[in-house]
Amino acid sequence: MNEEDLKQMGKRLRNALGPLKNAELERDLWPEMVRKLDQTTVHVPWFDWVLLAGLGVALWFFPALLPALLYHI
Amino acid sequence: MGKHIYLRAYLAGIAVPTVLLLVAMTLYTILRVIYRFPVPIERVIVFPMAIVPNLWGLWNVVYVAFLARHRFPLGLHGDALVFLVSPLGFLFARVLEFPLPHIFFVLAPIAIPVGLAVYYLAWKYLVGFLNAELGIA
Repeated sequence: MNEEDLKQMGKRLRNALGPLKNAELERDLWPEMVRKLDQTTVHVPWFDWVLLAGLGVALWFFPALLPALLYHI
Repeated sequence: MGKHIYLRAYLAGIAVPTVLLLVAMTLYTILRVIYRFPVPIERVIVFPMAIVPNLWGLWNVVYVAFLARHRFPLGLHGDALVFLVSPLGFLFARVLEFPLPHIFFVLAPIAIPVGLAVYYLAWKYLVGFLNAELGIA
């Protein structure tokens, strides 16, 4: 297939498909992206903070728990 | 995004313990090689290295297959895994004749709630985050 054949084929394909409609974006997508990023903020309820603090205290007073914990994770 | 949902659930499940294993292995290597820590963990290392991550992956598949549609809390589902992993780990250590220190038995009543808390938080936030990122929950 030579250069001329490729050009002809390209022309035929373009004619067959027709012009693209709505090729441009209808709106700016960035504000939506920012909104989506804001939504992904993790909300941690107070009892989970209490649980995390209790966990820290337990490991602080009983560091021997750490190897057993790592073995099970 | 609807393709291979269980494969994605499995991968999200194994990711967390696999990453934590790197931390555990680094600590263990430092203790064993530099400080000559006299505990032969390599005898039972296959448990946290292969069995636990696979259990997490399969447990997440179970969640996605049966519980996610009912909005069952992922943290509680993860907690239930403690009751499978903990006896299995103990059994594994006993079968392979791993010398469990006496303090292990003394601290068992504290270790279980601590394990439940760790699993609850890890499943709720880490596995939950991965599930959300992969579009499966």
